Amino acid sequence: MNLTLQQLADQLSSGFARETAGGVVRVVDYARTGCHLEAAVWPSAVVCAAELLDQRGFALDTITGVDWIAEGEMEVIYDYFHATAGWRIVIRSRLPRGNPEIPTISGVFPGADWHERETHDFFGIRFLGHPDLRPFLLPEDADYHPLRKDFTA
Amino acid sequence: MIAPQAICPEGTRNETFVLNLGPQHPATHGVLRVKLTMDGEYITRAEPVVGYIHRMQEKMAENRTYARFLPNTSRIDYLSAMAYTHAFVAAVERAARIEVPARAEYIRVVTSELNRISSHLVWFGAFLLDLGGFTPLLYAFDDRERILDLLEGISGSRLTYCYYRFGGLCNDIDEDFIKGTHDFVARMRPRLKMYRTLVTDNIILRKRLIGIGPISQEMCRRYGATGPVIRGSGVAYDVRKAEPYSVYPEFNFDVPVFPEGDSMARYLVRMAEMEQSLRIIEQALDKLPGGPVMASNVPRVLKLPAGDYCCAVEAARGRFAVRIISDNKEIPYRVKLRTPSFSNLSLFEEASQGMMLPDALALMGSLDLVIPDIDR
Amino acid sequence: MEREEARSPDRSQIVKLAVLDDLLALGRANSLWPLTFGLACCAIEMMAAGASRFDLSRFGAEVFRPSPRQADVMIVAGTINRKMALAVKTLYDQMLEPKWVIAMGNCAISGGPFVFPGQYAVIEGVDRLFPVDVFIPGCPPRPEALIEGILALEEKLTGTRRWPRVKAQ
Repeated sequence: MNLTLQQLADQLSSGFARETAGGVVRVVDYARTGCHLEAAVWPSAVVCAAELLDQRGFALDTITGVDWIAEGEMEVIYDYFHATAGWRIVIRSRLPRGNPEIPTISGVFPGADWHERETHDFFGIRFLGHPDLRPFLLPEDADYHPLRKDFTA
Repeated sequence: MIAPQAICPEGTRNETFVLNLGPQHPATHGVLRVKLTMDGEYITRAEPVVGYIHRMQEKMAENRTYARFLPNTSRIDYLSAMAYTHAFVAAVERAARIEVPARAEYIRVVTSELNRISSHLVWFGAFLLDLGGFTPLLYAFDDRERILDLLEGISGSRLTYCYYRFGGLCNDIDEDFIKGTHDFVARMRPRLKMYRTLVTDNIILRKRLIGIGPISQEMCRRYGATGPVIRGSGVAYDVRKAEPYSVYPEFNFDVPVFPEGDSMARYLVRMAEMEQSLRIIEQALDKLPGGPVMASNVPRVLKLPAGDYCCAVEAARGRFAVRIISDNKEIPYRVKLRTPSFSNLSLFEEASQGMMLPDALALMGSLDLVIPDIDR
Repeated sequence: MEREEARSPDRSQIVKLAVLDDLLALGRANSLWPLTFGLACCAIEMMAAGASRFDLSRFGAEVFRPSPRQADVMIVAGTINRKMALAVKTLYDQMLEPKWVIAMGNCAISGGPFVFPGQYAVIEGVDRLFPVDVFIPGCPPRPEALIEGILALEEKLTGTRRWPRVKAQ
């Protein structure tokens, strides 16, 4: 890819703005944080973000969740990377803790299937449109979400 | 490969059965269960079921201080323990702005590369065992024992080392280690040639692996596969070159890439990587500087400033990354471990459709999975 | 007089059978066939014990059988999970008598390094599921420790220790 990092950031920002999703893509300090670009988007925009990155040849690295119990929110973090250009992009999205729902990106990246199942296992975040949100790492009959901060065994 | 339709007439092939592979099975390299829906000898659907060795590593990280989590890092992927500890230690050093002395970085590279060779030797032995050959396992484990002797001399442990500390290493290396490593490198090069004539050029292996389990670049990208899987499909993505860490930029080494994308390509990538690791070890020992192996003012109990810190390494199986989210306390708020075997196995369902069962096992062996890496 | 002769130790039928029992125990001890049951890190040390340097085959135990019907001893090498517990118990039930269990490594003895307050997944020791004959501590135990565990099991079978004990130096 023969874009500079700032050009890529501007392209993605305008792509997000078109979807009226909000979220500016910022260039961050790679040496400290380990990624090149970061963006915080509304939950409804994660599929659009995934499609924009898919068109530019990015690969999905991982999806994870964070339970910000003090703020009453849960965060879903998507990591993308570009194998030939070596860039790393992090997309974040905050959800209300009482009803954590976010659309699935497994239609764009099939690898997201397992990552989303694991995030659902650990946090109880529901990925709308996911083909099969059964427990993945926990036993089949598990009804608990262990990585929540208020989880007691 | 003869397609099923060619063998039996139409109308007689409408029955599939479900076969359970694992969780206890000699060829699954750990506790992996695969629910196979079979049409005779051909797989129509292979659904991996994981979680049988889920050991709560990410939850434990929220209950341990940074130093007390170090032994856990070795046990995520026990064959590549040095690299995993390296990722965690480097992430903390990045966040706490700790400068690691040059001698420690060089020794980290030497030990990580020795660990990579020993991991590839275990893969080599186990893979050939799956394909039906018992002898290469014994040869590979003999070579591996020599590496383990070296690493045991400096770290005290054969398999799950906890050798790195925040700011450097726990022990310096001695003359025995340096001489032993030089001897090992001199011994290993002819052994790799022997493996080539004994195993790689073996007609049975070639028939079992060439053309089996093709994985395209596009499939690698959509599933996030890294490591020898993506390099065996023609993409030269190696974290040591793409996101250089430690002192890897100072060494001259190639990233072996094979474009075919079949199991043979992944096999050749790993065999070539062992050669390249020997090159790196030699260069690192030649250039080894003197000095301390531990930074001088590392606090006993670390508190990282609030924020997100990520660090990745090239482990033997692919890209391993640690993301630490800290809220300025002594224990992390969240630690995410991005493990290579997880992404590498996720493409198995799509890649194994329509394959015969022994070929699917060859494909699974060529992905080089360690199941605790998937389950964490 | 004849009844007294029949009851004396070196002439009664029970003593003859006891000698046969000793012979069977010797045969079993010399050819313990383990079940391939490596779960985690300890499995690698078990493989190393079966490989060329440590050579479990000297003790007749190198024939690892994948099927529980053909195995004598289950070497539980690794952490037992709640999800895996049913599978482990099923394998144990499928093994034929006489059978023995070696718990290898700290995880199989008591949950190992994965026990912390609030833990939700690990079974703290395989002896919570079924009886264990030999415990081998270590994380992971060295292959020599596994061999010592097998020799301890042989001692349990035959009643005597047939191999020299290694003295600490």
